[in-house]
Amino acid sequence: MKIRTGIALAAILAASNAFAAGTTLNVGMGSADAGKLDPHVATSTPDKGLLHWMFNGLVRIKPGEASPEFIEPDIAKSWTSSEDGLTWVFSLRDDVECHGDYGKLDAEDVAYSLKRSSNPDISAFAKDYSAIDSIEASGPLEVTVKLKEKVPSLLGLLVPYHGGNIVCKDAVEALGEEYQRTPIGTGPFMFAEYQPQQFVKLVANPEYFRGEPKIKEIYYRYIPSDASRDLAFQSGEIDMIYGKQEQTWVERIKQVPGTKVVVMKPGEMSVIHLNMTMPPLDDVRVRKAVAHAINRDAMVQFKGPDVTLAAISPVPEGHLGFTADVPNYEYSLEKAKALLTEAGHPDGVTIKAIHTTLPGMLSTMEALQALLREADINLEIETVEHATFHEQIRKDMSQVTHYAAARFPVADVYLSQFFHSDAIVGTPTAITNFSHCAVADAEIEAARTEGNAEKQIEYWATAQRKIMEEVCAVPIVQSMQLWAWKDTLDLGVEVNGSLNLSPPVTEAASFSE
Amino acid sequence: MTAFILKRLGFAAITLFAVLTIVFFIVRVLPGDPAMAILGDQASASALAALRVRLGLDVPLYQQYVEFLAGVLVGDWGVSMVSGRPVIEEILKVLPATIELTLASLVLGIAVGLPTGVWSAVRRNKLPDYLARIGSLLGLSFPAFVSAVLLLLLFAIQLRWFPVISSGQGDGLGDRLRDLALPAINLGLIMAAYITRVTRSAMLEVLNQDYVRTARAKGLAFAVIVWRHCLRNALIPVVTVVGLYLGILIGNSVLTEIVFNRPGLGKLIVGALNQRDYTMLQGMMVIYTLIVVLVNLVTDLTYGLIDPRIKYA
Repeated sequence: MKIRTGIALAAILAASNAFAAGTTLNVGMGSADAGKLDPHVATSTPDKGLLHWMFNGLVRIKPGEASPEFIEPDIAKSWTSSEDGLTWVFSLRDDVECHGDYGKLDAEDVAYSLKRSSNPDISAFAKDYSAIDSIEASGPLEVTVKLKEKVPSLLGLLVPYHGGNIVCKDAVEALGEEYQRTPIGTGPFMFAEYQPQQFVKLVANPEYFRGEPKIKEIYYRYIPSDASRDLAFQSGEIDMIYGKQEQTWVERIKQVPGTKVVVMKPGEMSVIHLNMTMPPLDDVRVRKAVAHAINRDAMVQFKGPDVTLAAISPVPEGHLGFTADVPNYEYSLEKAKALLTEAGHPDGVTIKAIHTTLPGMLSTMEALQALLREADINLEIETVEHATFHEQIRKDMSQVTHYAAARFPVADVYLSQFFHSDAIVGTPTAITNFSHCAVADAEIEAARTEGNAEKQIEYWATAQRKIMEEVCAVPIVQSMQLWAWKDTLDLGVEVNGSLNLSPPVTEAASFSE
Repeated sequence: MTAFILKRLGFAAITLFAVLTIVFFIVRVLPGDPAMAILGDQASASALAALRVRLGLDVPLYQQYVEFLAGVLVGDWGVSMVSGRPVIEEILKVLPATIELTLASLVLGIAVGLPTGVWSAVRRNKLPDYLARIGSLLGLSFPAFVSAVLLLLLFAIQLRWFPVISSGQGDGLGDRLRDLALPAINLGLIMAAYITRVTRSAMLEVLNQDYVRTARAKGLAFAVIVWRHCLRNALIPVVTVVGLYLGILIGNSVLTEIVFNRPGLGKLIVGALNQRDYTMLQGMMVIYTLIVVLVNLVTDLTYGLIDPRIKYA
């Protein structure tokens, strides 16, 4: 009797399982809740990953890729630029519909959207668009963008990423504050429902200009516990899972039958920035000693060869403008110790770092600490909670700053944010130049306005060489984005990368069974 | 009784004011910048400064405090600095889930803990007593997140009786029970462990009282002595523990909420703390304080129901 009751209970429970299959995609994301769902404000990985499936840009990077070399038309079917590269005219498709009842998307919408992205009172990405002089709807389906000065990649600013996501004017104006909770785009999937701390539900956009998606519903589930997310994937409750950037995660999740693990670009590059204004790091010989004491191969083995790449240059590999032709400080304890002695520190040096308690980053720093100790470089780590870390490093309080970041894959972004003097922390224009590096300002600025692509790349290469010669920072490893999904899910494209850090779920995605 | 309740509510108001004041200043003394949390790490210093102005963080602290208190008095708890949604709306959306989990754990804890404690006391130093003591010790020793993962491995992965994550999709009773079962068992068994030990201890004391010996001597059934006379007299310390633990339970539910992926106050407060969402933290503290004050009041009133000799002055 008891056994029968148990079986009956199990059957009832199984029957009440509401997870549909076939046309419903359940995604497990590693965060506790949604943040702001306005694409011009959203900065977190979980929010950007979700919005990726709901918005278009004037142009886009081919789904499955992350490099600007794969830029192709999206809402704009074609474009032209003036000889001086300061005036761009975009001709729009006539079949793009805004989600819901907000009608056809036209040039007014596009102009409104780009002006909104440029508005510092609204947009978190306004600075990216500061070179834009004017944006006008020069026809019902034609937009003209005029620049004050050349930018490294205007098209790169117009892909559906950050401010390049095109919003529908009527929707934004009608919804007001509510827009950040009810995003309206033109992409393959439409916002349908938000359950706090549970999920955002998207549904297929039947009017999508590339055709109605085969997947009809997406549940984007917020599952902050890594263990629970893995178990939910193992039990089949979710079909696609955001992974931990760890080798052990890859090996563990590969064991789940019918699983496809994907390692995607862009990588998040770990770099240690050496504050060149603080002794003993104000001496280039000490900074070079630090560089020689770090064994990148050992770091790759430590972080996991399947999920990391050794970092060579201050610009990540794969970014437009990256060069590997930079001074290479091979691992050599002898050279490190000799340089320290030459700098007047025969017994070694002590340097201090304020560091976050985030386990993934802290383990990297502790491994570096062990390597540096071999060269008589005593790295003292003061750990603070993550928000405190961000505040204190921006107050120029740390001699050594370990920073891990992924950026838009054009060299200018990394170089400007981390190595241009305008970005030095503690100044009014500060961003994330923790080293006070100012050795490549001329090249970084020249590359921004250089019309000749080859010359532009040479400027960027020179900047990278100068930064490495002065050892403003020591690049360590690039940690790639990790996702896994059921092998019955076919995204319809080969996935090598994704700028928005989530796999491309488009109209082409479907389940094979 | 009315005077007692009014007096306690007066104390509650003072407590609430003190908590609001302390929380207001503590969250602002903590290092960490809400503007950075909102705009992300690529934001320029000027953009961060502009946002701080928009959030009202540029005005003197005393002015922020006065504006905050004025808002609370008229029921305006502000909007979340991070999500932009009204604080009260955010809290009310997840509060039912927390109350549901807490009550389910409480019921389970009492249903398991009370009889086990009585049974253990009555069978003192016999096998049932040893089993109950070992079981309760295990319940107290296991961290909630470890037992949660073990429950998931057994019931969700091996037996597949329950889901790993709360679906949040169904409103039916079956769906709700299915979502609630494992988290409630996880917290309920820990509570049961507490109740078992306190009940056992209180029952052992009562079972040695003279009136129990008298009742047995005059031939009253042992079950009647235990359940009607002894248990009622042993309940005061049990109610105290339940009252105290209920406050802790609400605060401690965060790990259970995270592992079972349930919505709730715990997850909300952790997110608000990480992102330095001052307005949300303040709202959460008000709710927590109210709950603790209310639970204590109910606990005090329950004493009178259990023991009519207790008078409220």
